[in-house]
Amino acid sequence: MTGELLQLSSLSGGYPPVSVFRNVDLTIGKGEAVGLFGPNGHGKTTLLKTVAGLIDPWDGEIRFDGRRLNAEGVMAARISKHLNYDLFRRRRIQARDVVRAGLIYVMQGNLLFPEMTVDEVLHIAPSASRGRSGVSEMQSLVRDLFPRLRERRHSKIRYLSGGERQMVSIAVGLLALPRLLILDEPTLGLSPKLRLELSEAIARIRDAQVPLLVVDQNVEFLTSLVDRLYLFDHGSITSEIDKAHMPSHDEIMTMLFGSAP
Amino acid sequence: MKYAPPFHRTNGLVPVIIALATLIVLPLIFTDTYVRHILILVFIYAILASNWDLSLGYGGVFNFAHMAFFAIGLYAYGIGAKIIGIDPWLTILLAPLASMAFAALLAAPILRLEGIYVILVTIAASQLLLKIVVSQSDITGGTSGMVLLPRLTIGDYRLTSDGRIGYYYVALLLLAASTVFLYKLERSSVGRAIKALRDNKYYAISRGVSEGATRLYTLCASAVLPGLAGAFYGSYVRVASPDVFGLSFLTITLSILLVGGVSTIWGPIIAAFAITVFAELLGEYGAWRDIIVACVIIGVVVIYPGGLFAGIQELWDALDSRKAALIALWRRRFQAGRRSELMGGPDRMVETSHGRIAVFDNGNSGQALLFIHGNSACKEAFFRQVAAFGDRYRIVAFDLPGHGVSENGNPRTDYNYEAYARVAAEIVEKLSLGTPIVFGWSLGGYVALEYAAAGNPTRALAICGTSPLGTFPDDMPLGYIASPHMELAGKRFFSWYEKRIYAAKTVPAEDAQAQLVRHAVWRTDGRAREQVVARMKTVDWPRQIRLMKEGTVPFAMINGPEDPFINHDYCAGFPYGNIWRGKTQNIAGGGHAPFLAAAAAFNAAFAEFLAEFETLKPATQSELATPD
Amino acid sequence: MAIDTFIFVLISGIVLGGLYALMAVGLSVVWTTLDVFNFAHGAFVALGAYVAWQISQSAPGPAGFALAAALSVAFMFAFGFCLHFGIIKPFERSPNIVLLAVITTLAASSIIENGIQLVWGPREKQIDPNIDMRVDFGGVAIAGIDLLSLAVALLALAGLAVFLRRSATGRAMRAAAQNREAAELMGFNVAFLFAIAFGIAAATAALAGVFIGSLRFINPSFGADPLMKSLIVVIFGGVAQFTSPIYAAFIIGIVEAFSIYFLGLYWAPAVLFALMIAVLMIKPEGLFGNRQKTL
Repeated sequence: MTGELLQLSSLSGGYPPVSVFRNVDLTIGKGEAVGLFGPNGHGKTTLLKTVAGLIDPWDGEIRFDGRRLNAEGVMAARISKHLNYDLFRRRRIQARDVVRAGLIYVMQGNLLFPEMTVDEVLHIAPSASRGRSGVSEMQSLVRDLFPRLRERRHSKIRYLSGGERQMVSIAVGLLALPRLLILDEPTLGLSPKLRLELSEAIARIRDAQVPLLVVDQNVEFLTSLVDRLYLFDHGSITSEIDKAHMPSHDEIMTMLFGSAP
Repeated sequence: MKYAPPFHRTNGLVPVIIALATLIVLPLIFTDTYVRHILILVFIYAILASNWDLSLGYGGVFNFAHMAFFAIGLYAYGIGAKIIGIDPWLTILLAPLASMAFAALLAAPILRLEGIYVILVTIAASQLLLKIVVSQSDITGGTSGMVLLPRLTIGDYRLTSDGRIGYYYVALLLLAASTVFLYKLERSSVGRAIKALRDNKYYAISRGVSEGATRLYTLCASAVLPGLAGAFYGSYVRVASPDVFGLSFLTITLSILLVGGVSTIWGPIIAAFAITVFAELLGEYGAWRDIIVACVIIGVVVIYPGGLFAGIQELWDALDSRKAALIALWRRRFQAGRRSELMGGPDRMVETSHGRIAVFDNGNSGQALLFIHGNSACKEAFFRQVAAFGDRYRIVAFDLPGHGVSENGNPRTDYNYEAYARVAAEIVEKLSLGTPIVFGWSLGGYVALEYAAAGNPTRALAICGTSPLGTFPDDMPLGYIASPHMELAGKRFFSWYEKRIYAAKTVPAEDAQAQLVRHAVWRTDGRAREQVVARMKTVDWPRQIRLMKEGTVPFAMINGPEDPFINHDYCAGFPYGNIWRGKTQNIAGGGHAPFLAAAAAFNAAFAEFLAEFETLKPATQSELATPD
Repeated sequence: MAIDTFIFVLISGIVLGGLYALMAVGLSVVWTTLDVFNFAHGAFVALGAYVAWQISQSAPGPAGFALAAALSVAFMFAFGFCLHFGIIKPFERSPNIVLLAVITTLAASSIIENGIQLVWGPREKQIDPNIDMRVDFGGVAIAGIDLLSLAVALLALAGLAVFLRRSATGRAMRAAAQNREAAELMGFNVAFLFAIAFGIAAATAALAGVFIGSLRFINPSFGADPLMKSLIVVIFGGVAQFTSPIYAAFIIGIVEAFSIYFLGLYWAPAVLFALMIAVLMIKPEGLFGNRQKTL
């Protein structure tokens, strides 16, 4: 195989009967950090949830490290509005298989498990990576990245601040020993100081050779972090930009909206 | 403006009349007392379940004390008619007051509660009531209940005589009253408030719907008929026992409601028949009967959670489209003569990427004119133009997919403006029409605009009865005059009345020749109306606006000043780049279809329009023109 | 009221409370994990009692009773585990799940009840635990089976707490209960964890059924009463946390014992219901509950 880690080929999906994204082609090479940028409400999170196995894709292919993760064929259209299709149809992709393969998705604004303590959550996190070595190295990296979590290890998640919650989410993702880590808006709704702290942590995760796919609304952060950038608009990838041609904020706005706001 | 026709103008009228007539005649056919007894129970279950739907389905208030309303009616009858000695009929009418009082009390503890907590509290409240009833054994007879309650009589006639026929008709009357009550309530402002609170609580509250008051109304309204039915039941079985508080009674009624379909009035009534009759058919199997019924209920809820009524509707949906396709087939085969007579020539079927399309082509050699008809109409709408211009021009008209004698399309792909415009483009190409002058009427106006805006060859463009839309849906209320008929344009199922009124408004020509056009609505695939309106938000409206503003294609707008739909000021004030004669043209006396109803005046103006542009070879058109 | 009577009433209240806790904990485990209210819980209690009765018929003595209890609990765990896939899982993603689950669990309850009737007949039965020992407690004689039921109930609840708080599966179950999507993204088999929760509920119900069946007569429909009692307990304590009904169960048990003593058998349930409605009006989430639902 070539260096492709994740390969989406003409992937379509949504919440039946509403189609959210269409014919998405996206590749991520081994050791690459890739960004995905686009306006809110245009289907980025739905796309990532599909890749993570939470939602069934309609059509197309999700390949991870050469192995196909979703069922072959096209999802048949629903004829009846009221029939319980969950009963008759097998899932076309299973989150379990995706996680076992090492593709780890860190949800946007993840509340995690509000009534569990940080320690309890971090304790069950590595269960996804059963049978693989490297957990202890990863644990030391997490300790290194987020010293704050050690201080708060006996607090319940619901008492953590938004930034601390995001740290736990990323830590949980890392402890699963990701072969590709997908971060969905990791700096959403954070104070500038915490945003900076988290951006630095994510840059260090990249430097630790963890392949990344990052969605964020902060163009400067994204362009400085990633090797390649995909622009996403109206449910489709509209362009692909490599490191050498990384555009400025205004240029991206022009590409997406026709003019800078 | 919400379109809500009165019941006698909806499609529900005929089935309801048939059902009611059947129920009235039924006891005359089945004189067996047992059958009538079962039917009386069915009516009571139907009343209980359909009224429960008011709180559970429409209101989203999981009131599990509903059976207590019935029980209160029952005991109120026992106490009122037997112990106090009030007239039985009067007691039945007074019983709902008791159940409503309990409903009002019940509203207090659940005021601040949601979902599961409402279930818990209401179950607890009805159990509390049960304990009170059982504890007052001097009055209520304790666990064994009250017996020998007075029966109903009219003068000296006992309603139990003649095989309980009197009770049968009273029960039927109660069911009918209950249904009318629910139907009216659901469409009243209170009913809308109830549904609004369920669908989006905080938005409803912010719009001034009081949650507490509405819940109180919901519970009280849902208690009236169960109270009445409970008292009636007491007069019928002449026993008031605490069994009515039990889980098994609740289970049966809830099954009827859920199997019938939540948030429907008719579902629970249908399910009351289905489940009771099914259970009676299994009558001999004892415990097995209950097991089988429970399995069927689980099966229905798990496999088809919409319930029986939704199932009936889905079947009806499928049948309706099939019916429209059959009418089209029949007309294609057997009415070819009438169409040919009207148009002066036969039509033929043309294969397109959106199905087989019926096309009329007079085969003349002049400048090609392409006519596109409107919503729920057909290509014959233009027969007066064919007659007037057929000798000078090549006239082509086609039936849109799902209209006229064209085939039905796939609702997901074929019933939208883009698809209609592609059909037009494919016809222009297949028939080698070169660069046609395109005329679009109403919905066809948008098809014509979309056709031209997509860059298809267009010498000139004329639209009629169409308001230009810059953005959707924001410009809809500007471009059109709000009326119930606008709602009809996107309504899938038309009742007989709606078909008639829609045809009369859109085709204001009464003469025998135009009859074929007015009848087109009977054939139109309802999904075409539904989908084309539902998918309006995906149309690239700004592209059409650019076309009209830039004025690269000669453009005319010819409207009827009496057109009841379009906003003439809006149309006239639109900043067109290059409109024929500098403004919108009005042809008086033709309503929404001047080319049909005021054909002479229209044709005169249209002839001038054609004459002006038929010879034009504008430079701007060169890149659009086809190679020939 | 003499002090020995007081102690007697108090102890019988506590014993009752232990049984109630055992019955109610299953309801709250299912509610906190699956978001549904299980109306078949009473039928689980009944089925557990009948299975234990059947086994105890062929296995005499206290050891036989222990065996019957253990097998009944194991059987009901498997039964609950499987039932989840039949009556809850098919519509777990439906927005109407609360209402649909009410009707499927009610229907399941009807199936179980009628099934018991078909297999064991409508006649009343009693499990003989073969424990005739009585313990003298401050001048009050307490039946050995009462103490045993209290001890077993406390042990079972403690065991459940340890399982949920300490074991990996228990923690995963709590995670799935609190945030289903996040648990799926950690690779847990959420359907399996939910089925375990349903199995645990059925198993605790069976344990309660075994003791109820050895204290009084059972018939196919006796589950309705334990269901109502558990309902009072979970309302009283709140369903938000699986521990809160346990405290509530003991309070309810003691209140019931005393109100039976003072007001008689007829009025005692009415007192409980009135108390519960009062709690709900003042603190709808229950005495020990908070609004955040957790396992």
